Amino acid sequence: MTKLLRPTTLVSILVVLLCVVMAFAPQLIAPGDPLAGTPRDRLLPPSAEHLFGTDSLGRDVFTRVVHGAWLSLAAATLAVGIGGLVGGAIGLLCGAARGRVGTAIDFVVMRFVDVLIAVPGILLALIVVATLGFGPWSIALGVGLGAAGSFARIMRAQVLRVRGEEYVEAAAVLGVRPLGVLSRHILPNAARPVLAMAALELGTAVLSVSAISFLGFGVAPPAPEWGSLVSAGRDYIATSWWLTVLPGAVIVGVVLAVTRLARVIGESR
Amino acid sequence: MTRAGTALRLVAPKVLQFAFVVWATYTVTFLLVRVLPGDPVLAALAVQSGDATTVDPEQLAALREQAGLDGSLLEQYLSQLGALLTGDLGTSLATGRTVVDMIAGVVPGSLAVAGLALVIGVLTSVVLAFLASIAPWRWLRDLLVQLPPLGVAVPAFVTGLILISVFSFSLGLLPASGSRSGDSVILPAITLAFPVGAIFFQVFITAIREAEASGYVFTAEAKGLGRAAVFGRHVLRNALLPSVTSIGLLIGYLAGGTAVVETVFSREGIGRLVVSAVLARDVSVIQGVIIVVAVVYALAALLVDLSYPLIDPRLRPGKAAPKPAAASTFSIVPEADALTSATTDPKNGAAK
Repeated sequence: MTKLLRPTTLVSILVVLLCVVMAFAPQLIAPGDPLAGTPRDRLLPPSAEHLFGTDSLGRDVFTRVVHGAWLSLAAATLAVGIGGLVGGAIGLLCGAARGRVGTAIDFVVMRFVDVLIAVPGILLALIVVATLGFGPWSIALGVGLGAAGSFARIMRAQVLRVRGEEYVEAAAVLGVRPLGVLSRHILPNAARPVLAMAALELGTAVLSVSAISFLGFGVAPPAPEWGSLVSAGRDYIATSWWLTVLPGAVIVGVVLAVTRLARVIGESR
Repeated sequence: MTRAGTALRLVAPKVLQFAFVVWATYTVTFLLVRVLPGDPVLAALAVQSGDATTVDPEQLAALREQAGLDGSLLEQYLSQLGALLTGDLGTSLATGRTVVDMIAGVVPGSLAVAGLALVIGVLTSVVLAFLASIAPWRWLRDLLVQLPPLGVAVPAFVTGLILISVFSFSLGLLPASGSRSGDSVILPAITLAFPVGAIFFQVFITAIREAEASGYVFTAEAKGLGRAAVFGRHVLRNALLPSVTSIGLLIGYLAGGTAVVETVFSREGIGRLVVSAVLARDVSVIQGVIIVVAVVYALAALLVDLSYPLIDPRLRPGKAAPKPAAASTFSIVPEADALTSATTDPKNGAAK
């Protein structure tokens, strides 16, 4: 428990909770309308009234960042979910098959997984986006497939590690069927590092999703999304720094918090 | 066994591995494009004409043939693979030029940025690691070790825009965009150097910790050598060796990062090519770039693998000394992904 009480960990948990609130109930934090602007108030610097200033249409940037959390975080979470499921399944099967019937299958599949890890994730995501069409959900699929390789590798490593433990051998000797061993003994014991990996990949996914949105392949304007918010501020970088720096700082904060939690989860007891 | 025979036995598997990486990358991208719903030719045409419903079937068939997308899946796969073997990456759906031409035209710009970024990133992290090891104050050492997560967490597009704002608009020192003048390469390279340096730093500092725990460092300290001398003579050289293997990971980051950086700085390059290909739904160009990146990556891996025994005398064949476990040769992907090494270290798991 003590490691949960470390200040950096507490702050990280707080940031993640704040993200959940922003994603599901943005009105609680920013009651305004993210799409409504007052042209008279355009490009105002940050103040008490507009925490993050206003953009070129007089819209409140803070409100747009808070309301943009849903798309950014949902796409990133979905990406990690896809990557975790696809990669986890591959890793699980390879790990379980190795040494029994499928050592050769395991070898070949894992070499493909190596390639999936080696190819830059953002390029894989972009080829998916170009095939499927633009939008946050095809970005999520692309980023997820890019992350699947890492999940497959770590899942396989964990399954192989746990399979050698005495309690798994004991269960097998006691006559528990292979599927039962897998679900009751191997999976729960392999879960922790996979979970740490998922947290780490969530940070990477937030970065990739916002990068691809920044490039202009995400949600269509005027809907707010973190990457496209930074992109929209690009034309005003010389005069209105808050349009890019503040949404960017939010991305950095979230990624740092998630990465920190990944470390905490992954630390051995 | 002759000398040449031994050399061949060492080199052949690595060359085979190189060929495999390229083939597997082609297969993965081919499957991705084909398994996902959506017709790349129709999509590209729709972008060009702005309307997908009025496509002339003859024009469509001609375009399919030109792009090598006609016939059954297996035929397409084999014919494209055959073309790949002769160095042909297909034809762009959007421009009609060959993909090889398009990529070759923009490679120098990207290489300049990526190369400079690699140099800046690696040099900075070596200096920072040096400081983190010999700084007399504990808080400074801790602070320096905490830096890399920040380098990875800041999106390149934010770093780039801030650099433009400060160095181009406020100070007026460097150009904000374009690729004509020589100094236009500096800001994009610095932007890319942040994540690349951060990743290298993490691999490097782990290797340093490992070297510091070894017997020869203990001996050197016992002899009474100063901290800087121990670091420079014993730790640095031994830590750099395993770190060289992370070059593959770095190449991946550099290749992926160019897409964002070249867009931010409006430079011609591979990344820009990919971004405009996505805009035009030009799948064959993106596939070509991914294969080229995989070739560069696999080539780097091959070179590192082959040069390793040259750098490290302990790994030369024929030496009686047992191979040290720490100096493992290059696997297809560096095993300890820098970011995850803390969470996935197999030793931690086993020692628990």
